[in-house]
Amino acid sequence: MKRLLMPLFLAVAAGAAMASATVGQPAPAFTAVDTAGKTVSLADFKGKHVVLEWVNPGCPYVQKHYNSANMQATQEAATAKGVVWLSINSTATDAGDYKAPAAMAAWMQARKAHASGTLLDADGKVGRAYGARATPHMYVIDPSGRLVYAGAIDSKPSADPADIKTATNYVNQALAESLAGKPVSVAATRAYGCSVKYSSGA
Amino acid sequence: MPSIRKLLIAAASALPLLALAAPGPVVSTPQVRAELVAHAPEGVAPGKPLWLGLAIQHQPHWHTYWKNPGDSGLPTNLQWALPAGIAAGEIEWPTPQKLPIGPLLNYGYEGTVLLPVPVVVAAGFNADKLDVKLHADWLVCKEVCIPESGDFAISVPVQAATAGNKALFDTARAALPQAAAGARASAALEGETLVVRIAGLPAAWQGKALAFLPEVAGVVQNAGTPETAWQAGEWTAKLPIDPQRSAGPALMPAVLTMPGRAAGLRVEIPVTTAWPAIAAAAPLPSLGDAVVTAPMANANPVGLIAALALALAGGVLLNLMPCVFPVLSLKVLGFARQADDRRALVAGGLAYTAGVVLSFVALAALLLALRAGGEQLGWGFQLQSPAVVALLAALFTLIGLNLAGVFEFGSLLPSGWAAVRAHHPLADSFLTGVLAVAVASPCTAPFMGASLGAAVTLPPAQALAVFAALGLGMALPYLLASAWPALARALPRPGAWMAHFKTLMAFPMFATVVWLVWVLGQQAGIDGAAALLALLVALAFVGWALGSPALGSKARWGFGAASLLLLAAVLAWTLPALHEGPPAPAQAQAGWEPWSTARVTELVGQGRPVFVDFSAAWCVTCQVNKRTTLNRAEVVADLAQRRVALLRADWTRRDAAITTELARLGRSGVPVYALYAPGAAAPKILSEILSVGEVREALAELPSTPRSLP
Repeated sequence: MKRLLMPLFLAVAAGAAMASATVGQPAPAFTAVDTAGKTVSLADFKGKHVVLEWVNPGCPYVQKHYNSANMQATQEAATAKGVVWLSINSTATDAGDYKAPAAMAAWMQARKAHASGTLLDADGKVGRAYGARATPHMYVIDPSGRLVYAGAIDSKPSADPADIKTATNYVNQALAESLAGKPVSVAATRAYGCSVKYSSGA
Repeated sequence: MPSIRKLLIAAASALPLLALAAPGPVVSTPQVRAELVAHAPEGVAPGKPLWLGLAIQHQPHWHTYWKNPGDSGLPTNLQWALPAGIAAGEIEWPTPQKLPIGPLLNYGYEGTVLLPVPVVVAAGFNADKLDVKLHADWLVCKEVCIPESGDFAISVPVQAATAGNKALFDTARAALPQAAAGARASAALEGETLVVRIAGLPAAWQGKALAFLPEVAGVVQNAGTPETAWQAGEWTAKLPIDPQRSAGPALMPAVLTMPGRAAGLRVEIPVTTAWPAIAAAAPLPSLGDAVVTAPMANANPVGLIAALALALAGGVLLNLMPCVFPVLSLKVLGFARQADDRRALVAGGLAYTAGVVLSFVALAALLLALRAGGEQLGWGFQLQSPAVVALLAALFTLIGLNLAGVFEFGSLLPSGWAAVRAHHPLADSFLTGVLAVAVASPCTAPFMGASLGAAVTLPPAQALAVFAALGLGMALPYLLASAWPALARALPRPGAWMAHFKTLMAFPMFATVVWLVWVLGQQAGIDGAAALLALLVALAFVGWALGSPALGSKARWGFGAASLLLLAAVLAWTLPALHEGPPAPAQAQAGWEPWSTARVTELVGQGRPVFVDFSAAWCVTCQVNKRTTLNRAEVVADLAQRRVALLRADWTRRDAAITTELARLGRSGVPVYALYAPGAAAPKILSEILSVGEVREALAELPSTPRSLP
């Protein structure tokens, strides 16, 4: 009995720590509040491709992709094709680089971001449900609600913006393939960047 | 306050600029002090120890990362600029710490760490000082992360000793993970858990609470405490798989750590089960509606038809193989005797075809069943067992002796048997078919391994269809000859020449025996080969004593009894020797090193092209390719000129890691030749029948490589 219960207990414990979305499985449902105070649910976008982007303005790797306008270009290309793009900030309120909703909205606006919405997840619920580890950490969900990509924004894990030109943008690739009705060829990669600054509670 | 902070940031960003202007041994940032250091206790000369390294002192609570940084972070990267004749190796990463950050976990270093790099001095090096330049990138994190880099330069005297940082290098060496000699490790996927089992760990580590630090990122979950247990000296860890797993390695190198020990233990763990594909399921064709269509079989009908046609053609060719031709040609010649009894001929041909096809299907079904049961097997698996090789050698010896006229089966078999054969010609034909598959099996593996490899990965029904097509192809010439009397009549009339032909056919049989003995020698060593030869001699004696038509019944009794006693004695002596022996000394051919996925990754990571030869001793095609192509002077010269690293994966014995890699390449048999170009996503697979032109062409397509290491 003990042998049976032990793995079960561990699975539950691990689930509490980092419940994780699995590539190829239905993406976890979530509801969060955006910078304007509006409630947004994943279920609102059933039938559309959805991109989730974990963002933290204080992180040099996020800055690499925003200061070079790479992230904005990726957002623009996606939303032009009817894809919903949600940028999610899971930084805890007690972390050094926490941004209040208004400041976060201003930061995104100043960088001419093309996200469909910017969600605040200071308690880390959405981040933990998806197993988001890094900023940026990218997820692509297909119209049936299945997670078809999880991982890095591109193939060159570095802080050097010069690498963007020669890197493969995995989000563009996954979206192009999924929109064309093909399976996603690179479905999981290791996200690179800063750790998500999760709150210690929850 | 803000102005001070701005000043600090300005100072910090100016530092790399200053460093760029005049690189020295030290780069300091607000988070780290990094210093390029050297250790050359006997000066700089060929064969003398020479180490370079980057010593990083972190401010309290700041850290940099290990080769597998864990959930986030990046490993420190060193790019050397060294004079000709000096080559730096890879960082010998000291044992890292676990660094938990909320629900995440990283692997890295706090405090002071030295990343040492071994350096090789070429024979001709004779400068009076060694100028070392280094560009390093590191990511330093506390709560926030800062990517930093620095340029360093030092000059190491060649004649005098450099040992000022001996303590630093000694500490790093003491923290280097030690290879766990004698450890036996394996890992198997059980659902969403990777179960790692390690036996034979050193006594000091037995029973201790160990931590598992994987060297490959993105496979198992880093955070959390896995369930571990000690039982009868074996350590078991159940590691939850990362749900967003991005790698499926056949080998999981890992470092085990225990509290109170600076140095971990390094273990290379073969993963014995295949990794499922990462969510390669096709997207639903819906436009937002929730209609779920039944999953389509991922079969490509064109591919299946092509595979069936190829199998049919391959089967026809099998008839010409040295293992099959002697048996079959005699059988066909037998037609001449009964060319007029057409019905009997056709019935015999059909029975023979049934025997061949069913035997192939049965063999394939066995293979598929074993694979479904989790065995790591591919086509050619029959020849990976010394017992099967020995049995085949015995069978071929007996057939050869029979053809040579040493004995007749008629006098050997119970007298009733001849009558059975005579009364049941169909059963006889069917059994001939079974025998033909048995004697053909050492040839199907070597010559058809690659094409059958693809078949094994098809859905079972289709896989069996491919094997049935192969059998049909093999039986086809015989079937046609039986159905077409004109063909049988066109054969030469029986006569004295048939006896000579029969004797002649004994020699290809014996040649096959030589080859089988050699294969067994690869598996069980020289003792095993000698044991098999002794067994064959005893068998030949038995065959002659009991079956020679020239012996009278008295002599037959006497010799027969003696020969059977001898056979029993030889069997008692040889059977233990026919088990898989200690690994025969790897055929260390100059320039080739043993294959492992880790080694391929490492070499490609260094920017070197890699050529992998998946081969086996029992694979004839492999041996032919080796001699006619890979060992040719112009190919060897081309390979050397392009600095291609040569790795050989030897599949003579069963090897789960190689089987997994073959499956990843879409094959289940050898030969397979894979050329990895640096930067390319997938290796280029060359054809199974290699030609000098093809190899040189593939090499010419490689991006040109720098002359010296960066």
